[in-house]
Amino acid sequence: MIEARNVIKKYGSVTALDDFSVEIPKGKIGILGPNGAGKSTFVKIALGLITANSGKVTVLGESLDKHSVDIRRKIGYMPEHDCIPNHMSGVEFLIEMGLVSGMDTSSATQRTHEILGHLQMGDEKYRKIEEYSGGMRQKIKLAQGLIHGPDIIFLDEPTSGLDPKARREMLDTINGLTEISNTNVLLSTHILQDVEMVCDHVIIINNGKLQMKENVKELMKRQSDFIQVRVGGDIDGFVNILKSKKITVTTDGRILRVPYLNDQTFQHIIDAAVDNKCQLYEMERSKVTMDNIYLEVIE
Amino acid sequence: MKDEAQVSEKFARYDAKLTTRTKIVIGMGLRGFFSLLKLNKKGVWNLALIFLIYLWSIVFFVLMAGEGNVYPCEEMSSEFKYCQPIAYYGDMGLGGVRLFLVTLAAIASGGLIANDMNDKSLHLYLSRPISRLDYLIARFIPIFLLLIFVTVIPNMITFVTQWSNSGLEFDWIKNHKWLMFDIIVQGLFYSASYSIIGLTFSTLINREYRAAGAFFLFVYGTNIIVELFHEFVNDDRVLLLSIAHLLDIVSFEIYGAEYYFTSFGDLKGIELSNIEIFGALTMIIGGCGIFVNWMISQMEENK
Repeated sequence: MIEARNVIKKYGSVTALDDFSVEIPKGKIGILGPNGAGKSTFVKIALGLITANSGKVTVLGESLDKHSVDIRRKIGYMPEHDCIPNHMSGVEFLIEMGLVSGMDTSSATQRTHEILGHLQMGDEKYRKIEEYSGGMRQKIKLAQGLIHGPDIIFLDEPTSGLDPKARREMLDTINGLTEISNTNVLLSTHILQDVEMVCDHVIIINNGKLQMKENVKELMKRQSDFIQVRVGGDIDGFVNILKSKKITVTTDGRILRVPYLNDQTFQHIIDAAVDNKCQLYEMERSKVTMDNIYLEVIE
Repeated sequence: MKDEAQVSEKFARYDAKLTTRTKIVIGMGLRGFFSLLKLNKKGVWNLALIFLIYLWSIVFFVLMAGEGNVYPCEEMSSEFKYCQPIAYYGDMGLGGVRLFLVTLAAIASGGLIANDMNDKSLHLYLSRPISRLDYLIARFIPIFLLLIFVTVIPNMITFVTQWSNSGLEFDWIKNHKWLMFDIIVQGLFYSASYSIIGLTFSTLINREYRAAGAFFLFVYGTNIIVELFHEFVNDDRVLLLSIAHLLDIVSFEIYGAEYYFTSFGDLKGIELSNIEIFGALTMIIGGCGIFVNWMISQMEENK
C-alpha cells in the first residue's frame, strides 16, 4: 500500500526521518511512536504535503515524485488538531469538503447524509459546528476524510484530547465506518490501545527510524503471564531442574522468568529451589503486556 | 433493517467520480465569490460598498457628465483631469470611488486566507487533490471577480454614457474601441493588484478584521507618507513606494497618457522611466506572491 525507501527529512538541524524505509501492507496499519518520533512527518510526506530531502515514497503504487497531488483523490486525511470551521454546520462542511475533493454537488450531498447517518447524527448535523462536543467534532473530522470514498485514510492521533468514553466511541466509529466502506487505514498514534483496537499491523517508529513492524495478533501472542524469580546459588542447576519438568526459563542475570502455566508452577519453582539447594529470594507473578513490548522497543 | 443493509451496501461500493483540478479550483472560486455577496454580517458591508461605488459612478459620471468631459484621452495634457477613465480612480474630487474600492478590497479579502489559517481548515483544503498554487488561485478568484464587478463594469457605464452623449453613433464606438479595451485592461489590472495585496495581508495577519485594517492603512498610509516625503526630496521615484500611486502610474501607461499626481490639491507631472515603474510593480506583486506561497508552505509543514 505504501512503500518508503531511505527517506530522510530534516527540519533545520533536526532529523525527523533518518534513512527511513518501510513497506506497509494493505489493511489497518498503526504507526506507533512517542511524540516527536517522526510519525506525523511520515504521514505528511505520504500525503504529498511536504517533500522529503531524499528517498522515494510510493502510495498505492504511484510515486509521489510525479503524482503528489492527484494521489490525494485516493487518500483521506484526518489531521490531529482541530481544523474545522466553526461557522458552518456539519452538513455544509462535509458538502464543501466533498466538492473540494472533486465530487459534484448532488453526490457530495448524498454521501454527506449517508456518512452522517452512519455516525448516527440526527438534527444536530444542521447545527453550527461551534456547538458540537469534542467527540462530535472528531467524528466530523473523520467523516470529511471519508467523504470522497478514498482507498486509504490517514488518521493522525484521532483520539487525541478525548475522554475515555468518547475515545472508545471514536475507535468504534473508525472501525465501523472503515469496515463498512472497505477503506484501508493508516493510524498514527502514541496510544497503544488505539492500535490494539483498530489495527492488524503495527509499525513502531522512534527517532525517525523504523524500530519494529509486526502483526498485531502476533504481538498480542507475545503478551504472557510469567513468574519473576530471584534465586541465589547454582542458577544453572535450578534452570535445568525446571527444564526437566518441561518448563522453559528465560534468564536476565539472577532474575529468571518462569512462564505461569497454573498455580502448580509456584510449587514446581519451590521444589526446584529445594532440590538444587539454592536460596529463593523472590517469587512474583507478572505480565508482559503490549506496553512492555512497546517500551522495550522504544528504549 | 433491510433499508439499513441497502444503505450500507451502497456506502461500501461507493466509487466517487471526481472532477478535474481545474474544475475544483473554479468551483471553489465561484463559491467564494457568491459567499462574499451573501446577505450575512460581512456580506452586507460588501453589498453596501458595491452599492456606493455604483451610486458614485452614476452620480458623478452619468448624471453629472457635462460638455467639458470629453474623450479621447490622447488629447489631454493640461486638461487631462477631464479624462474620465483615469479620473475615475483619481482624487480630483472623485476619490470616493478609490476609497470605496480599497475599503471593499480590504473587507472582502481580509478573511479569504486568514479564516482558513485561523481555524486551520487550510490543512484540510491542502490535503485534497489541489496544489498550493491551486488553493491560492481558488482564493484569488472571489476577490478578483468582486473587484472586476466594481471596476470594469462601472467604468463601462461611463463609456456608454459618453457614447450616448455623442448621439449613439456606431462610428464613435469604432473610433474609441481602444478605450474600451483600456478600460477592461485597467480594471483587470487594478482588480488583480488589489486582490494579490489583499491576500498577502490576509495571509500575513491571520485575523480577518486586523488584516482588512492593515490593508487599508497600508494603501492610504503609504499614500500620505509618500506625498509628504515627495515634498522634501522632490524625487518622483518616491511615489513608487505607494501602491496607490504606483497603480495610478501604470494606469496612465495603459491609457498612453501623461503621468501626474495630486499633492495637497496641486497637480504635478511625474518623470519616471518604464523600467523603474514596472520594476517596482514586479517587485511588489511578485514579492507578495512569493511571500504568500512561503507562508502557506510553512503551515503545511507545521501543525
